[in-house]
Amino acid sequence: MIFSLHKVKSDADGFMHLSMLAEATQDISDEKLRLDFSRCTHFDANMAAPLAAILNHATNNHNYIEIVNPKRQIEEILRKNRFLRNYGYPPLEDVNHTTLPFVHLANSDTKSFASYLSLHMNGKGIPQMSDRLEKEFRRSIFEVFQNCVSHSGSERGVFVCGQFYPYQGRLDLTISDIGVGIPTNVRRHLRNDKMLPTDAIKWALMEGNTTKTGEQPGGMGLKLLKDFIEFNGGRIIIASRQGLYQLVGKKEVYKKLISDFPGTTINLEINTKDTHRYRLRSEVTPENLF
Amino acid sequence: MNDETVIKVIDIVKGPLCVSTEDGQILHDEIAPYIRGDKPITISFVGVTTLISAFLNAAIGQLYGEFSEDKIRQLLKVKGLDQDDLELLKRVNDNAKIYFKNKKGYDLAWKDEVGDEE
Repeated sequence: MIFSLHKVKSDADGFMHLSMLAEATQDISDEKLRLDFSRCTHFDANMAAPLAAILNHATNNHNYIEIVNPKRQIEEILRKNRFLRNYGYPPLEDVNHTTLPFVHLANSDTKSFASYLSLHMNGKGIPQMSDRLEKEFRRSIFEVFQNCVSHSGSERGVFVCGQFYPYQGRLDLTISDIGVGIPTNVRRHLRNDKMLPTDAIKWALMEGNTTKTGEQPGGMGLKLLKDFIEFNGGRIIIASRQGLYQLVGKKEVYKKLISDFPGTTINLEINTKDTHRYRLRSEVTPENLF
Repeated sequence: MNDETVIKVIDIVKGPLCVSTEDGQILHDEIAPYIRGDKPITISFVGVTTLISAFLNAAIGQLYGEFSEDKIRQLLKVKGLDQDDLELLKRVNDNAKIYFKNKKGYDLAWKDEVGDEE
């Protein structure tokens, strides 16, 4: 089959378009899938993570994937971030040092993920960030990684890719899994088959809410992430199955996706020019800590 | 004489990153026997560079399911955390207290609110 890819930005339309690719290729097996980029006028490099997650599903179903006709600029960026390496395009050197290359990591590979961040985040807008902002960003990234690993229910790992946009002062990092997705997890946990995907994401974002069972409390990672991004003036997009959530500054939007987007993708975009002072909300002392 | 035991987190997690629930569980399993035995214990975070809520939930938040707040307050101390990490730990502890008090009530309350409408 041939799928013609159009513009893919890190926004609701970009996720909507990728969900159409996911749905179109969901059930094919033992076929040749030709992903035609000739009509693709723009592709945000970090969106290679969810694209790779979708193509991984197709590969697992014994399909042969071919990527054809990318425009020169798109080909260059996707060779720089090494996404196209698996499709016969040799990597290009990232002379501007703006890419956080595409990687596919096993769920248990937290240490490799940490090495990846240490290796590739240095110099990606970090000099402009205060120590406190960098620390909060690193914390947020690990919260997202752990969230994917804990909740995806898939052994097929996580897909990571990032891009620094120096002129806009923005750093995007996108993490995808191909697990059951937030709506399914929450519906199962609440035993409510009819809960809307967007309501399920809303539930998962509330502090204290977790689908984990057992003796470990949870339900803080996504809320902390939200608090940080709100203050930083960045953006979060969460796409999971038929639900999409976007936070830009303090504005939240929930949207229903027409097609089924596999697993969960979280796109974190931070404002690297943030000059806020990260003040504490309360003074914690050893006396009131426990 | 001070016979209080100090557990160094960087020795437990083998590095400066406290970013996984598995490592949090290992730390929890080191701490819990002390509290169970009424022995004071200090957790030293000296040298830790990144700490996330999922780690703290497993390592410390989980203790509230087994021990009373008074007992934890009396026996457990932490050191080597800066103010924002202390604030994170405080949030984790407050969340854990509520979680264990309302382990079932939480989900039912939400279920009522959202209902079954498509």
